Order: sequence, then C-alpha cells, then structure tokens
Amino acid sequence: MRSRAPAGVVQARLYVQRRVVFCACAAAFVAGLVEPSGPAAPLFLCSLLGIAMALAQSPGLHPHLDRCEQGAPLFGRELARAKALVPCVAAVSAGLCFAGAQLARGVSTVPVTLSVTLAAVVASTLVALSATTRRGLARTLYVLLAACTSAGAYALVAAARSPAAELAFCAFVAFFALRQYGETLARYDPI
Amino acid sequence: MELAGTAECYCPMPLLRMRDATFARNAVSAGPLTLDLERGERMALHCESAKEACVVALLATGIVKATTGCVLINDYDPRVQSVHCKRAAALVPHEPLALEESEFARYIAYRAALWNVEPSRARACARRLRARLAGMHEALAYPLIGALIGTPQLVVLDRPQPVYARLIVDVLEGRALFSTHADAAAARAFAPGGLARVRAAGA
Repeated sequence: MRSRAPAGVVQARLYVQRRVVFCACAAAFVAGLVEPSGPAAPLFLCSLLGIAMALAQSPGLHPHLDRCEQGAPLFGRELARAKALVPCVAAVSAGLCFAGAQLARGVSTVPVTLSVTLAAVVASTLVALSATTRRGLARTLYVLLAACTSAGAYALVAAARSPAAELAFCAFVAFFALRQYGETLARYDPI
Repeated sequence: MELAGTAECYCPMPLLRMRDATFARNAVSAGPLTLDLERGERMALHCESAKEACVVALLATGIVKATTGCVLINDYDPRVQSVHCKRAAALVPHEPLALEESEFARYIAYRAALWNVEPSRARACARRLRARLAGMHEALAYPLIGALIGTPQLVVLDRPQPVYARLIVDVLEGRALFSTHADAAAARAFAPGGLARVRAAGA
C-alpha cells in the first residue's frame, strides 16, 4: 500500500476538522485533571470522542473531500485504512491528552490505563466507521455496537480484571471492523 | 517463441464506451446511454435534469456503477477494475471549490497524494495550469487543475460553465473530454459536433 495516499487523506481531513480535534483534546485534558484515576473515565470519554470523530467522516459533511477520494485510484481497503486513521488519530490524541493530565497530577497507573484505553478507543472507533456509510436503523445499530465494544472492553478490565483479555478482544474486534469497513467502501455507491 | 493471434486483428477500444447503460437507485435514474468516445475526442451530453447530468458524469468516471448495461473506461469495467478506470478518467464536479489562496498548495498536495504524483511535479503542473487558466474564476479553476494533476486520458466535466468552454478545451491539450449538461446551449459550447454522435435516451 502506498503511504502517500493515507498521509494525504489524514492531513486533509484533520485539517478541515482541526477545531473539533482541538476541542476533543482540550476536553480530555480537562477531564484528566479533574477525574479520579481508573480506566472508566478515559475509556468511555475517549471512545465517545472516537465514535463522534468517526461519524464526522460521514459522506456529505465534507463533499469535496468525499468526491476526490471517491474518484481517486484507490482500492476500497486502501481508502478504508486511510479514512480509519483520521478518527483514530484524533481519539488517540485525546487519550494521550487525558494521560498527560493524569501524569501531571502524579497518578501512578497511567501506563496500564493508557494502554487499555487506546485499545478500546481504536476498536470502538473502527466499529463506528461502518455507521458512516449507512442510514437509519443500520446506522444506529452500528453506533450501539461501537458503544457495546467500549462497554465490553471496560467489563474485561474492571470486572474480569484482565487487561490482556481486553487487548485481545479489542484487537479482534478492530481487525474485523476494519475489514468490514473496507468491504463496505469498495461496494459503496455515493448516490 | 510464437505469438498467439495476429497483429492485424488489433483494434483499439474507445476510451469511453457505454452500451444501454442505465442507473436507477433512490429515485435517481439516468439512461439508457449508448456512446463511444475515442481518444482526443470531445463529446457533450445534454441531459434532462441536473441530477441526471451528475449521475452520467459519475458513471463515466466509474465512481458509480451502471445498474444495467455496460460501461467500459479505457477497456476496463468499473464494476471489476474501478481503480484502473479512475486512473484513466478524472471528474471535475459541478460544485465550485471555495479555497483561500493559502490553501491552494495544500489542495494540490492532497490531490497529488491521492493520485500518487510526485509533489514537486504536481506543484509545477499546478503553477503552469493556473497561469493558463488565469481568466477563469478560481473556485472553478481549482477542481480542474486538481483533476489534471493525475494526467488522466479522459476528463469528465459535470455541468461546466459554457462561458469558460474555450479556456477549458485549450488547457486539456488534446485529452478526451466528456461533459454533461442540463441545457443544450451549454452542451453546444463544449462540443459543437459531439452531440450528434450520442444515441441516448437522455440526449
């Protein structure tokens, strides 16, 4: 896969959504300063930001970028990886801002919290991306599925106390979510 | 080593071929269209509505696939080899692109990345094209410049402004041009002789 195309898509989309990304990072930083330590707040907050950023890639919100990408000589899977990077970069940035605020407060569990948070954020964001090419009930169901992914990841960390199982679960979900999104984009008709 | 077949049989396919191509989905329909566009030719299609013109332009670039019938772009079927089709054909959308002067370089870099063109080559090409399109409004010139960066063989224009027909035809430098229009006068401005070659329900 060429690296130039994903880099171009990420730069262009992050540029047009830079204010939203900045606000998400600022919100995560403030939450990191005031919230108690533990995985619940960063995991759910950053997953929510990731899902919102994924939905912000829906066709029609940036019509010129959509048209350029639909007309570009890219396979569906290439375009899917490039577009998936955008909300993932934004949500991971928010997660890092949250972790930065917690580090500033002297919280000791930041590395473990950050790793389980980023895994859940990436998985739920990739699931939510499939909602962008759908309408109505199917769209709602994909958003709910993304929320359930976050809840499942949290359950594995908090109830089962198994960060390794959470990482495995998120990797499994993320892999199939990205494949599904690529298949959808390859068949997607913009009309 | 022996070659199969004979060289005399070789007959280049048209750059754009449509055979009874129709599109019908979500209350949007177009066609049936039957046409052949050779390399270097110009063809303008007068459609019944702006929506149909937009759909036909998307069909001609392989962005949407025909519901029935056949569309071939440079002998590739968009349903199977859409990437090859998109390398051959570039779309210039109808909607103007409102960019600030400072964002033009960013836009060119973006288009170059998508079409895997060297950034320096894309910048030089954009500078040259911009100088040639100096008389055209920037919001209409930018999408055309972006489309030409990938050096397509076929340029598809969705409802272009007839007032810029001469400028656009000049800047294409012999590339095949297929334009769709919602009124006949605009179509005549782009291809005075091209309309007669179209056998289409929407023509």
